Amino acid sequence: MSGSKVRTLVIDDSALMRKLIPRILARDADIEVVGTAMDGSFGLKKIEELKPDVVTLDLEMPRMDGMEALRQIMRTHRVPVVVVSAHTQSGASATFKALALGAFDFVPKPFDAAQAHMEGIGDQLIGKVKLAAKTGVSSRKDVIAAEKPKVQKPAQRQKRPPNRVIAIGTSTGGPNALQDLLSQLPGDFPGSLVIVQHMPEGFTEMFARRLNECCAIDVKEAQSGDMLIAGRALICPGNRHIRVRHMPLGDVIVLTDEDKVNGHRPSVDVLFHSVASEFGSSAIGLLMTGMGEDGAEGLGRIKEYGGLTVVQDELSCVVFGMPKIAIERGYAMRVVSLDALANLLVRHCCASAKEWAQAIAQV
Amino acid sequence: MSFFSEDRSSELKELFFETSAELLQALNEQGLKLEQQPTDSETVREVRRTVHTLKGDAAACGFQELSGLAHELEDVLTVEISAASNGKLAEIVLSANDVFTSMLSAYREGHSIPSPAALRDSIRLIVSRPEPRHIVPYKLTGHFAWNEYEQMAIKQAKEEGQQVFQIALAVDPACPMKTAAMQLVRNVLAQLGQVLAVFPDPSTASDQLDVIEFAVASAQPADIFQKKCYIPSVILDVLVEAVVETSAQTNQRSAQPTPGDELNDVLDLGGDEHASSTESVATEKEVLGSSSSASNKLRVDSERIDSVLNLVGELVIGKSMLMQSVGEFDKRYAKDPLRAKFADAMAFQARVLNDLQKSVMRIRMVPVDQLFRRFPRIVRDVAKSCGKEVVLETAGEETDLDKSILDVLAEPLSHLVRNSVDHGIETPEERIAAGKARQGTIRLNAYHQGNQIVIECRDDGRGIDRYKLVSRAVEKGIVSFEDAERLSDSEALHLVFHPGLSTADRVTEISGRGVGMDVVRAVVDRLKGSTFIESKPGVGTTFFLKIPLTLAIIKALMFRAGGRLYALPLSSVVEIARTTESEVHRVEQHEVMQLRNEVLTIIRMEQLAIRGPLTRRKKIFIVVVSIAERKFGLIVDRLVGEEELVIKALDDHLVATEFVSGASILGDGSVVLILNLSAVVAKLGKAPAFEEAVTA
Repeated sequence: MSGSKVRTLVIDDSALMRKLIPRILARDADIEVVGTAMDGSFGLKKIEELKPDVVTLDLEMPRMDGMEALRQIMRTHRVPVVVVSAHTQSGASATFKALALGAFDFVPKPFDAAQAHMEGIGDQLIGKVKLAAKTGVSSRKDVIAAEKPKVQKPAQRQKRPPNRVIAIGTSTGGPNALQDLLSQLPGDFPGSLVIVQHMPEGFTEMFARRLNECCAIDVKEAQSGDMLIAGRALICPGNRHIRVRHMPLGDVIVLTDEDKVNGHRPSVDVLFHSVASEFGSSAIGLLMTGMGEDGAEGLGRIKEYGGLTVVQDELSCVVFGMPKIAIERGYAMRVVSLDALANLLVRHCCASAKEWAQAIAQV
Repeated sequence: MSFFSEDRSSELKELFFETSAELLQALNEQGLKLEQQPTDSETVREVRRTVHTLKGDAAACGFQELSGLAHELEDVLTVEISAASNGKLAEIVLSANDVFTSMLSAYREGHSIPSPAALRDSIRLIVSRPEPRHIVPYKLTGHFAWNEYEQMAIKQAKEEGQQVFQIALAVDPACPMKTAAMQLVRNVLAQLGQVLAVFPDPSTASDQLDVIEFAVASAQPADIFQKKCYIPSVILDVLVEAVVETSAQTNQRSAQPTPGDELNDVLDLGGDEHASSTESVATEKEVLGSSSSASNKLRVDSERIDSVLNLVGELVIGKSMLMQSVGEFDKRYAKDPLRAKFADAMAFQARVLNDLQKSVMRIRMVPVDQLFRRFPRIVRDVAKSCGKEVVLETAGEETDLDKSILDVLAEPLSHLVRNSVDHGIETPEERIAAGKARQGTIRLNAYHQGNQIVIECRDDGRGIDRYKLVSRAVEKGIVSFEDAERLSDSEALHLVFHPGLSTADRVTEISGRGVGMDVVRAVVDRLKGSTFIESKPGVGTTFFLKIPLTLAIIKALMFRAGGRLYALPLSSVVEIARTTESEVHRVEQHEVMQLRNEVLTIIRMEQLAIRGPLTRRKKIFIVVVSIAERKFGLIVDRLVGEEELVIKALDDHLVATEFVSGASILGDGSVVLILNLSAVVAKLGKAPAFEEAVTA
């Protein structure tokens, strides 16, 4: 990418969206919408003709739908794609499929242009388009296969309290990275995971369900009152904050609706701070791929309270943003590639008290 | 603060209204298709896609009611439901289309939105068996769906041998402070035992609170709770259950996807898979082939095109000015070698101008398909309402026509189609008795013929009963008995266009009041077009509407009469003949002449310019024109020539005569009036007075 504008192509079957999306993007001086297309096949033609830096793509279109277009873009054109996705259950489902196929990221479809919250969606779209242009298409060959073999879950999971609590924060690139990581954890994983993935409301439930299908551990969208148990990952629902709390009978999730932190709700910092103060030295904080600095300070807090802090390394990150900040501020105790993360978590969760003490002692 | 400035967002809404009209049209067609093939997964998917887009667009513009309704509809659009619905789903799609349409116009006009409750009900009915309405006034039931921690607390209390009660409390809807009510009850319960669980979560409790649930570990008997919790005007009803087994896990709220959701999801994924495997092959082929229907379109305000067209018109005038000057130059400097250069340059400029004109015209052209698309629904509705079975066939949808003409034609054409279904096509019984297929066929066809477009509406019905029509016309005093005798077939058939004449034996809601068919004629006249009718009793009727391709530029024949310059659309000119005054005869009030084996009514165009007695010449030019199947001979002084004229509309106040439909400016700056032939014929058809007659 030179210093020139981000040349963007908008593919959407709705004439209205073909007008609205360029208009939103036009608010940023660094983005230039070079064309629009009304379905996948025209989109592909225009990609060849216009050579855009980024494509925004609607998934549900006549003739060639977005999914097929995405496949071809990923196969031949290698242009980063930001999916503009509907708020429905099927929309969410298609969105994750698209992410698995290599789409860079997604934004929810703009709704109610008259309202102030368009501002948020607009900023998201602009941010993600620019980021996509900067990052390009992931060079990772092993884009996760759409069909995973059915995983073997433990027949009856005991509701055991975990020996470690692992708090994970991630943003752009997170959905695929999380799937990669969580699907490698064994069904009898003794730790409990609490995850903040920056994602709009309405998508997290489907995201959790998808992960649950392909992971040996249980994955669930968190609800207030859910307990932290071994072998389960709880994903914070979109548009809420998540905290953990010690209760007499066990540790539970508390969801709240406070204001955005670092421009995000859920915010990784909120989770990390509460994990640090509730679990101290039995906490593991993991900061993965994503833009911005949400989670860096929280990771510092986990370290300060005696926990283990890990960040994903630059090479395996789609966007090396949040981990980078944490490293720069000296909060990261380990920098690990995505492939090695599962191993590291298993090792530290199964570690004896002595080994664990050693692990967290070295700074 | 809004995201877009006021006019930006209203522009967006304007675009929404425009595109949604197209979406609804598509939905209409898809609904009809769905009616035919309720089990075709591609059709269902098409419908769903359209509804989906409509939903997204409406949401983007903040039209939540429409968006919400579309969302509900989208959810039931699956092949399974469609197949099981017995055609009901198509019915719902069509009526949804109507509701959407009226919602849209309500949004546009700023009216209140029509209630979609009926549609909502039918959407819901289609997925669930109709449930008997709750006859029991209200029965308090407990969900007791505790979260994991609460379940654990209950379980532990039970294991410790405590008695645990689950209590559901109905909050009085009239109670003003519901969160306070909750606190009140909570305090009561805390006195009786240990509160293990509360629903809803006090921090998220809203004003919508109608049922509060608790789990309490207590040694007190159950009826104590009943008594203590019942607080008049706060708590209406109390339900107490003792927890027997730790079975609370079974009804954990929304922790597991409900079966319905899961099913939906599975179906959806299945559909996608199917789409990507079977469709991709087909679409790839399509991509290479047809791109006409779905090309990238540019929306331009028609005013802008009109202004370009106007400029082109000016250029055409400029061209003839140039031509004229070059002509004069030619005459003056007959030997100058510059002449050839001028001629080349002129020829080139003329060609480019011609192309330019054609391209600009083409911008205004839209396929007739846009017009034809609305007819399947009309035919279906009319046929249904009068108990007939009618298939609509269309051909020539890709034929192009000026958008403004197309818009104007919509109404008359739909009159014709309604009329054909209602009067033309017989009932199935009659058809079978007549040895025809049970289903009637109406065929719409469009094609170009020279500078005109012809639109045909053909039915295979009973045909027009000429005798009945003419006698009805005589009865109503529309034609005299004597005239009726002399009517040619086509003249007789044209009586159907007469206001106040209908051969239908009964007046129906759809047609039959004689209103409508005259509209057809009036509109076609206004467009400088013509109508033809063919009808054979028992075989069917065909209406032909012939319309000039565009209104802006016409080929015209120019002539002088009474010293003035006039122009006629060349399309109505049949031939030009020379004859002598002696060939013209007077029959009753008309002047006629025989041309080969036809008798023409003669009109002296001089009358347009000269009031009072006319002069006679020996040798005369006759311009033979055809209007509505009838031929007339126009006597003119002198023919000037053929030219392309750019029509300038005339302000109604400027021209007090109906004889003139427009004017144009020629290359030399002179003005030519373009005649409205049908008015001329109607008014001047009668024989004028002559000088001889006066002097004699």
